[in-house]
Amino acid sequence: MAITILRRLLAAVGVLLLISLFTFMIFFWLSPDPAVQICGKTCTPERIDQIRSQLGLDLPFWQQYWQFLSGIFTGRTYGEGAAAITCAAPCLGFSFQTNESVTDMIVARMPVSVTLAVGAAALWLLAGIGGGLLSAVKQGTGWDRAVMTTALAGISLPNYFVALLLQYLLVVQLRWLPFPQSVTFTEDPLLWFQSYLMPWLVLAFGYAAMYSRIVRTNVIDTLGQNFMRTAKAKGLDAPVVLRRHALRPSLTPVVTLFGMDFAGLLGGALITETVFGLNGVGKLTADSIAKNDQPVIMGVTLLAAALVVVANILVDVTYTYLDPRVRVKSA
Amino acid sequence: MSTVPSELAVETEPKGVLPTGSAPTPARRVISTLRKSPAVVFSVCVIVFIVLLAVFAPVLAAITGWDPYEFDPTAIDSDLGGVPIGPFGGISSSHWLGVEPGNGRDILVRIAYGARVSLMIAVSATLITTTFGVVLGMVAGFFGGLADQIISRVMDFLMAFPSLIFMIALLSALPAGNRPALLVLVLSIFGWPYTARVIRGQAMSLRNSEFVEAARASGARPVKIVFREVLPNLRGTIIVLATLAVPSYIGTEAGLSFLGVGVMPPTPSWGQMISTAVGWYAVDPMFFLIPGTFLFLTVFAFTVLGDNLRRVLDAGDAA
Amino acid sequence: MSLTAPRTISIPVAGSTLLEVDHLTVTFPTSSGPVEVVKDASFRVESGDTLGIVGESGSGKSMTSLAIMGLLPRGGTATGSIRLNGHELLGRSDREMRRVRGDKVAMVFQDPLSSLNPYYTVGLQIEEAYRAHNGGSRRDARRVTIEALERVRIADASRRVDHYPHQFSGGMRQRIMIAMALCLEPDLLIADEPTTALDVTVQAQILELLADLQRETGTGMIFITHDLAVVSQVAQDVLVMKDGEQVEAGTAEQVFSNPRAAYTRALLAALPRIDDPFDELKGTSR
Ligand SMILES: Nc1ncnc2c1ncn2[C@@H]1O[C@H](COP(=O)(O)OP(=O)(O)OP(=O)(O)O)[C@@H](O)[C@H]1O
Ligand SMILES: [Mg+2]
Repeated sequence: MAITILRRLLAAVGVLLLISLFTFMIFFWLSPDPAVQICGKTCTPERIDQIRSQLGLDLPFWQQYWQFLSGIFTGRTYGEGAAAITCAAPCLGFSFQTNESVTDMIVARMPVSVTLAVGAAALWLLAGIGGGLLSAVKQGTGWDRAVMTTALAGISLPNYFVALLLQYLLVVQLRWLPFPQSVTFTEDPLLWFQSYLMPWLVLAFGYAAMYSRIVRTNVIDTLGQNFMRTAKAKGLDAPVVLRRHALRPSLTPVVTLFGMDFAGLLGGALITETVFGLNGVGKLTADSIAKNDQPVIMGVTLLAAALVVVANILVDVTYTYLDPRVRVKSA
Repeated sequence: MSTVPSELAVETEPKGVLPTGSAPTPARRVISTLRKSPAVVFSVCVIVFIVLLAVFAPVLAAITGWDPYEFDPTAIDSDLGGVPIGPFGGISSSHWLGVEPGNGRDILVRIAYGARVSLMIAVSATLITTTFGVVLGMVAGFFGGLADQIISRVMDFLMAFPSLIFMIALLSALPAGNRPALLVLVLSIFGWPYTARVIRGQAMSLRNSEFVEAARASGARPVKIVFREVLPNLRGTIIVLATLAVPSYIGTEAGLSFLGVGVMPPTPSWGQMISTAVGWYAVDPMFFLIPGTFLFLTVFAFTVLGDNLRRVLDAGDAA
Repeated sequence: MSLTAPRTISIPVAGSTLLEVDHLTVTFPTSSGPVEVVKDASFRVESGDTLGIVGESGSGKSMTSLAIMGLLPRGGTATGSIRLNGHELLGRSDREMRRVRGDKVAMVFQDPLSSLNPYYTVGLQIEEAYRAHNGGSRRDARRVTIEALERVRIADASRRVDHYPHQFSGGMRQRIMIAMALCLEPDLLIADEPTTALDVTVQAQILELLADLQRETGTGMIFITHDLAVVSQVAQDVLVMKDGEQVEAGTAEQVFSNPRAAYTRALLAALPRIDDPFDELKGTSR
């Protein structure tokens, strides 16, 4: 067991290294020179060279990559002397456009993203599992068709479109909700909730649609299993049969899926945060793209990759625990 | 030139003379089943309509008299900051779906040209990912061994990627250049493993099936078995996967364009139109409703069609 | 065709008719029209007796028993009459059938691996069956479960009770299914090929166990098998099925010594000892 986990960890580190390498290569070779950007409009070639050597941009690729990597673990210093800028230990880079370390920028915006992600995840699990169960148990009825048609429409709707629709309907037309504002829970709980409600819904609905389809398939699959027949043959009550014997086999695979989707939320949050002006990591990314602030984009990309890789391991471990066939080796 | 005859000999080997292993579901039966479903008929109509719109976009421009890049200052109210004149976003006999606020470009014509870009990108990416996915998936699944090891590792790696973020990073780093081509490239790089994974699984189970055994026993070369015996049996799966890939690429492209890293202005694209509409949604909701509806209907239609194809073809397999 | 002929060989249990099945037909809708997988089957089971149902694969044996349990697969419908202790079972609501299942009729299913839920220990799966009908504490249920496992000769039952189905061998799973049925003490036990996966010694043990159970509790039994030799050991009455039809029905003695259907004769001819199979019945089972 320990060896398996160790191997998984090593593989994960390998994947992260590869991803960081790819990301670094892309920005190294493909994108415009950051020194030119830093220097601004009126700039002499000498000044550009100066900036480059200060930031180590004139070093060969591998050296720069190594600086970047070691910066993550030991921190790094840009430039020398009085103008030197230090970037503390988990240094994912430094944005010269905002004069902030990328790590600080991300950390500062994390609470908003986490709030968004957790709320949306709760919503989509509730709606997805509920809808899928309803659909499966009432298979072939109007309920089933209604849920599945909604789900199909749900996976086809782009979330930015839904965001605009909701905002137009609920805020502009019906005035049921105020314009989303950036308040913390402690400042004004009601406004906080009202501000997050639409972002939660928007981020959740696509996943909810997908999950209800998957849960339905799993439940129907499980209901057809022979052990369900055994459970009924024992004379158990229908709810017990469903709750105890059908739910666990149907929902265990959803755990894996959920872990991966939750870790991959940064992508979805990007659009949602941008549309609603929520100042989270997603919006930070979108803004950095607009400004072509490469260190930030790279930092976020790495963070997103790390989240997915870590989630992968966690999910595997969890799954081992949840499925006795994996947990307990045959006697 | 002495090699020519032997090449010809290979080329002229009898095709389709020997009965293939198992009869694929007859296309006619599938079509007749699908025709009974109103949802499918509706989807096909939508798809045909969008395709016609894309193909005849220049004709439409000629008929309406509006070029997709042409400003129409008379259609907007510059005193109100450029809001379209008239109800529903400036819908009139001259602008059938209204105009864009701010510059008065004709929405219908831009939608039609946007459909061109969207469909072209999605269909190209689908063709590429399907080809690569099928070939690599079959190689991995049918031959196993080292080839499978390598292909599977690469697939795992690509699928473990936070692909949306990475696509954004990649596209934001890439120079402007030919955006649609870049989009196709990026979509293809991250898209093929999803096809390959399914194909690999099916090829693996086909590897041990009777008719493949029979072909092998008769001394057929592996490559020939793959294309003559395995590929025809994967036809249904490939059709379903491709049909479902199209809407996912349309959606992703629109999302990327919405975020400003996809199709660049002035080239029209649905995602980009919705993105521009964010600033106007309160005063001119038609500007996001129209492209949004087109986007939704297109993705929805392809998804419904793919879903139903899968249902029918699966049932065909079981029978 | 019903088994009303007086039996000459029978165990001396006060036989009252436990199960009466008349004109049972099981139908499935298919794309090419409805298909009858059981056609007009009629038979009786007396308490304390065993009815053996024999027939090739796909002959409708399992469907007959599932119809009695009211557990036909989706789409399947049963017509005719199934009376248990004189009460009609067909046409009852699922809720009413739930009180019959497990309590009055228990079934040992054919495929023991897929018939056990992989996510729960075998102990829990037997306990819940026991508690559904007898109530009582978990402690009691566990004790009964361990006893039942011991009766089906699962070694080290008090430890094995906490194991999961995949940790047992095929034959052990089959015995676990039997243990589950045993602790329910049903009036009628349906065993669908309970000994197919077992080797001869274990098979003999299981058959003996079922016979013991029957002697103790007077349970009536339907024993489904491919194997005529096994039938000759356990059954007083025999029903032979082919393609959903009941081709032969009678007491074991009648069927073995004087088969009427050509199909039964062919089956008997395939037995190793054709000369007097009925001798074997006398010799081994009592
Ligand atoms: N869900 C279903 N729908 C339609 N037909 C079915 C269904 N399930 C079973 N059948 C058919 O019913 C017939 C009888 O099946 P049954 O399981 O009773 O056979 P069996 O005698 O128990 O065979 P075996 O010895 O292999 O267990 C078979 O021909 C089978 O194809
Ligand atoms: Mg059977």
